[in-house]
Amino acid sequence: MNKQTKVWLVLAITLSLLALGSACGGGTKPDTNANGGAGTDAGAAPYNGPTGSIAGVISFEGAPPAPKKIDTSADAACGKANPNLSTDDTIVTDGKLANVFVYIKDGTVDAGKKIGEYAWSTPTTAVQLDQKGCHYSPHVLGVQTNQKISITNSDQTQHNIHPSPKNNPEWNQTQANGAPPIEKSFARAETLIPVKCNQHPWMKAYIGVLKTPFFDVSETNGAYEIKGVPPGKYTVIAWREGGADGQTKQMDVTVTANAAGKADFAFGSAQTTVNTSLKVMPALELPMMHK
Amino acid sequence: MSKGLNRFAILVACATFFLIIAGALVTSNDAGLATPDWPTSNGLLFPPMVGNLFYEHGHRMIATTVGLLTIGLAIYIRVKEKRYWIWRLGMLALALVIVQGLLGALTVKMMLPLGVSAAHATLAQLFFCTTVSIAVFTSRSWIEARTLPDETGSPLRYMCTFALAIIFVQLILGATLRHSAKWDQHLPVQMVVAHIIGAFGVTIALGGTAFSVLRRHKGEAFLTRPATIALVLLVVQLFLGVAAYLTRIGSPNDPQPLHPMIGITVAHVACGALVFATTIVLTLRTYRVLPASEAAMKMAARPQES
Repeated sequence: MNKQTKVWLVLAITLSLLALGSACGGGTKPDTNANGGAGTDAGAAPYNGPTGSIAGVISFEGAPPAPKKIDTSADAACGKANPNLSTDDTIVTDGKLANVFVYIKDGTVDAGKKIGEYAWSTPTTAVQLDQKGCHYSPHVLGVQTNQKISITNSDQTQHNIHPSPKNNPEWNQTQANGAPPIEKSFARAETLIPVKCNQHPWMKAYIGVLKTPFFDVSETNGAYEIKGVPPGKYTVIAWREGGADGQTKQMDVTVTANAAGKADFAFGSAQTTVNTSLKVMPALELPMMHK
Repeated sequence: MSKGLNRFAILVACATFFLIIAGALVTSNDAGLATPDWPTSNGLLFPPMVGNLFYEHGHRMIATTVGLLTIGLAIYIRVKEKRYWIWRLGMLALALVIVQGLLGALTVKMMLPLGVSAAHATLAQLFFCTTVSIAVFTSRSWIEARTLPDETGSPLRYMCTFALAIIFVQLILGATLRHSAKWDQHLPVQMVVAHIIGAFGVTIALGGTAFSVLRRHKGEAFLTRPATIALVLLVVQLFLGVAAYLTRIGSPNDPQPLHPMIGITVAHVACGALVFATTIVLTLRTYRVLPASEAAMKMAARPQES
């Protein structure tokens, strides 16, 4: 083997080892988000005292991104049901943001116990999730652990419901038009579980699962209200979709009996676009496609 | 030599290449779980091909066709070929396509775990190269080839083999990268960097090998043609890689998988398969016509079948 060949081989081997070594480097584990709201201990007693509420308005600062048109050519039924189908990830009306999931993460009731130390019964009524106009409706919803979600298909086409939880078993099920409702539940708290349709990849929904009933989703006027909250001091989280695990804001709120604790949140336009630049090294940024 | 067998082997290789494209379309359109069951789709052998089911079920139908063609090829080889080792290669191809089908089932049933999906993508390339190899071995040019006078034969054989190995590692990295994030998620930086480093490795290994072949065996089309094609494909693949990266990093901002991201990423996968296949052809041909080292020749106790 001549010298030139040896040089080529050594260089190629070195680069290959570098490539394999960097690929095998420990990556960060995905954030499993164990903060699925306050927990409930086994054998805990229910809360029977006075209650208040937490209410507020979610605002959107700056110009909201325009909805993006969706290409429905792969399924004519979607185009027929909704000729102007567009994205519904950022719904802003008069500066107010809809579909923000607001919940009590943790807190202490005035009596001294943590909110998770009480027993919160699971509602027997199912929460509805419909597939209509090739969108999920509602886009964001909340349930308690083990509470039933009743999934229906109101479209003239087949859908495929695929939640991707981190703390709960994953499942994937097809639902034809006219098929009976699919009833599912999640046993563990998780905020928030993304849901998608593998048939129509633009379809997305998010399900917040909590052990307590203290959550709400903001309306089109940005308003939300979490009712039946025991007086006490709480950490309240407002979550909206965007980025790898959503965007969150946090606030400490004090609730008194028969009154509403105020918690307004604001999200800005700078947080809605996914950053597409690649940071290869701390001091070097390669600007790519910024939208 | 059977012309019919060679043509059928080429047909199977082309069908396999088409299947690789179909599989890449499944991944780029995020259609892998468009139906949760296997081998039927939503309980049907012929479901309505709408939405992403078009890609997923279409891929399965093409895979079934390739599977049947591979069975046919194995039988055809058994009937027509006297070289027993080619019959064994045909059986290997059959085993690979069966395993590949099972991996496809497993990846759907387990909801696309990274390891299984990456293995499915990698095995596809290996199966493709097996079919290409059979086409090479059954070709007239292979059977009629004669040894070339070349004192440096052994290094070129090693270089080709090494380039092949580097390309295979790069294919594994590429498959892992592709399946590590959906279209609406960012690609993991470590995998991107590894794949870029791998691209440098492939460029050096394959580029050096191809240039060496072109320099030392000018006029020998049996070697220079695959070397030239490999070089051209390598350049195209590098450009496609850059384009695939640029279109892919913007896809989380899109409402759904869109062109040009879909087209370019699929083209990158397909071109990668062609680079691998061309290098296999070059490697096999260097072993066919370039002399082995003296030590290797002494170790060969019996005459080799062509």
